[in-house]
Amino acid sequence: MSIEIKGVNKKFGDFVALDDVNVSLPTGQLTALLGPSGGGKSTLLRIIAGLDSADSGTINIEGTNATQLPPQKRNVGFVFQHYAVFKHMTVAKNVAFGLEIRKRPKDEIAKRVDELLKLVHLSQFAHRLPSQLSGGQRQRMALARALAVEPTVLLLDEPFGALDAKVRKELRDWLRRLHDEVHVTTVFVTHDQEEAMEVADEIVVINEGRVEQVGTPDQLYDEPANDFVMGFLGEITTLNGVMLRPHDIHLSLTPQLSEAAEGSISRLLRVGFEVRATVLTDDGEEVTVILTRTHARQLDLEVGVRVWVTPAAGALTMPSTQKAAAV
Amino acid sequence: MASRSSNAVANKSQVVKWVLRLLVIAYLVMLVGWPTAYVVKHTFADGLSGIQDALSDPDVVHALKLTAQIAVTAVIINTVFGVGMSLLLVRYTFIGKRALSVLIDLPLSVSPVVVGLALVLVYNGRFGWFGPWLEDNGLQVIFAKPGMIMATCFVILPLVIREVVPVLEELGDDQEQAARSLGANAWQTFRRITLPGIKWAVVYGVVLSLARALGEFGAVKVVAGNVGGETQVATVLVQQKYQNFQQETAYSVAFMLVFAAVLCLIVVALLRPKEHKS
Repeated sequence: MSIEIKGVNKKFGDFVALDDVNVSLPTGQLTALLGPSGGGKSTLLRIIAGLDSADSGTINIEGTNATQLPPQKRNVGFVFQHYAVFKHMTVAKNVAFGLEIRKRPKDEIAKRVDELLKLVHLSQFAHRLPSQLSGGQRQRMALARALAVEPTVLLLDEPFGALDAKVRKELRDWLRRLHDEVHVTTVFVTHDQEEAMEVADEIVVINEGRVEQVGTPDQLYDEPANDFVMGFLGEITTLNGVMLRPHDIHLSLTPQLSEAAEGSISRLLRVGFEVRATVLTDDGEEVTVILTRTHARQLDLEVGVRVWVTPAAGALTMPSTQKAAAV
Repeated sequence: MASRSSNAVANKSQVVKWVLRLLVIAYLVMLVGWPTAYVVKHTFADGLSGIQDALSDPDVVHALKLTAQIAVTAVIINTVFGVGMSLLLVRYTFIGKRALSVLIDLPLSVSPVVVGLALVLVYNGRFGWFGPWLEDNGLQVIFAKPGMIMATCFVILPLVIREVVPVLEELGDDQEQAARSLGANAWQTFRRITLPGIKWAVVYGVVLSLARALGEFGAVKVVAGNVGGETQVATVLVQQKYQNFQQETAYSVAFMLVFAAVLCLIVVALLRPKEHKS
């Protein structure tokens, strides 16, 4: 295990940011800390980096107790949401910073900077100032800067949060491929479950300062530990008192199964290739069903049409709770 | 109709614009331009001989040297202290921070003469709080250079801090944290990251405090004791020469003080755009 976090607590005044967090992050993997804003995931990352200190608990990085170490002695690379570029230095100087601090020989620095800029596809921008780069390029530069010092762990705090949707998606793919190339233990914070599931080997779900579940993306999606995890990883709806995913509901125009709930469509919303139908059952439940556009056309759905809904075979279901009903 | 009325508005705003301009220019001319020009005119009434005469008076030369020494020393102390204080105010939270912030502005509101008197009360060699002890240990503060430097430091205290604090706040601490995570210690972070970020604020603060230090009169006059050729600075000398009907010398020294201050501002104005273009 690369990073061992034991019994970490952190309070900001009265606000409990982290409440007895225990988690182990494996070596060489890409781990996502996933959770809603204000849930404590960024605080945990900053505590790992040494930029914040825990009120109690210990942090172990690759077998060394790092709890009391200042950030510059932890050998971690940190990438900030808003890039934190050194504005007065060229791209190459930014990347070289950590190596110059370590007083490496000049030709070695030049060679390493060259390699890294190639790795992040910024070779032709080496002599520009960061202000002449786009957001995505700046973040790639920040990543190269963090990688330059060959950190034991690479920590990314919402690295793509400030970028527009398209660039975000590109960078996400690129990060995954980069990780497959360099294999440095990487932890990144995100509130976007799609991003976490697409990129990470392992996901730690954090909510209200507590770890809700740790597992691979498939485990989390297929076997959520509780209704929070289930609700956070994807949309949910309730049918006959159980929670399930809207795309796991079978909708038909004739009563095919005895347990099917009867109702009528109260709302139809088309988003791209999918159609979201809200079905008001005769028992008074509002059920959201997601179908493909093609399927909806075949059924000729319209508001007011009578339909029968059942959980599809193999659907993941979970007993509904008060909290889920409120969602 | 519409266009005519908007024309009328435009005409009116044109008139207002010119009136305002004229007003501002007249105000500045009456208050700053004319009096300063008058000093220049009197200085060069007989060509360069006025300045030559002034510079042949050993008291004048001494006063100018002393002024330069005190101003430069005070500015150096104030720059180091000001940058450190700004970092403390922006980057750290502690009890009494707001009180400290208010205290720093005190020199702007307190009359320099009061400052001088206060220093005399604390540091004079006969009945001050620290004065006798310091004097026993061989350090005379009042009626000597240390006191004059202290008085000047007090007066220029806020000038660097008030320039640097807003820039530090705007800069944020992201870059500093990034530097720390890349292995830089506190000093390396300051020198390589923070200082380049606040460089221009510091330069402006230094120029402002230098100009202010050169021109300081009240506080220094009280603590200096005003012995010609020993503890008399240029501003006090100007007053004395003027009262002694040596107007020509007074004008010449006054001109040199103005010239030094203007030179500072011009140097900064010339340096800055170059930095931006590159």
